[in-house]
Amino acid sequence: MSKASFLRSRWFEDIPVGEFHVFGSYTLSEQEMVDFGTAYAPQIYHTDPDAAMNTRYKGLIASNWHLCSIWMRLMVDYMEGYALGVEDGRRNGAGLGFQDLKVLKPVRPGHTLTFSHEIIEKSEKIVKNKWGIIKSRNEAFNHKGELAMSFIVDILAERNPNNLKN
Amino acid sequence: MKLSTPIYFEDLDKFATFRSDEITITAEEIRKYATQFDPQPYHTDRSAAEGSIFGGLCASGWHVCAIMMKLLSNVMAKENIMLIGSDNVPSLKWRKPAFEGNKLHAELEFKGAGINNTEPDFGVINCDVKVLNENHQLVMEVKTTLMVENKGSNSE
Repeated sequence: MSKASFLRSRWFEDIPVGEFHVFGSYTLSEQEMVDFGTAYAPQIYHTDPDAAMNTRYKGLIASNWHLCSIWMRLMVDYMEGYALGVEDGRRNGAGLGFQDLKVLKPVRPGHTLTFSHEIIEKSEKIVKNKWGIIKSRNEAFNHKGELAMSFIVDILAERNPNNLKN
Repeated sequence: MKLSTPIYFEDLDKFATFRSDEITITAEEIRKYATQFDPQPYHTDRSAAEGSIFGGLCASGWHVCAIMMKLLSNVMAKENIMLIGSDNVPSLKWRKPAFEGNKLHAELEFKGAGINNTEPDFGVINCDVKVLNENHQLVMEVKTTLMVENKGSNSE
């Protein structure tokens, strides 16, 4: 088994607390920030580069939810790289929620964010006699190395059926 | 031009409640968002979704966050509350999938002024948000903060 398919085919029990991945980088354009803002967060500092100059942000900034959306895309792409030959299930746990989403630095057109992901806790709780809960700390650093965004997210991972009672 | 008087932090009712308009979530919109940001089969492919943990085509959880932001933005604009963002969301829970055809709305409940804000140009309101579907089922539950401009600040 290759390293890639091994990582993606692991059960909940096989994923170690402390595992750390730098899983992607992304550069935001002005146009995609405006498109997202227009669709979902229509404040002028997300939609109008000129009018945004006269707000407290002194220019266009990305919506928090746009940053979270980019996090999701990079995470999916990264995990897909490990998905070869693995059936839906272990590799597709749903998210339950997050805690402490903080946006610490404004993200502007042309900024590049680099995202990291660390497994910080595994709950003993079993969901629907099938899933475990993995808690991870996720951070995005800007091109200056400053922490721009962070949150902690709870995601389901399938438990090894051999360890479950029916 | 704004027709009603802008509501700044000082004049805000810190325990007000609001109900947003409703928005129907379409399969096309679910696929469009998912293709760009969350291309997993249960958000992009109806038949794959039917065999998945969710049991049907449903919006990405982050898409529901974006829709909530749209609903919340519309409420703030309608009330003329001088919202200038949120840099802190203490908790969010996805309770139930948002399936194609669901009609979503948001209920907002202000929970008083936040503490520890040292910025002079805005105040912070704690806010509970619930996103519900047409059957009054809870889709998403959020504790967030909202930054609202102070009167006489230089941010405009």
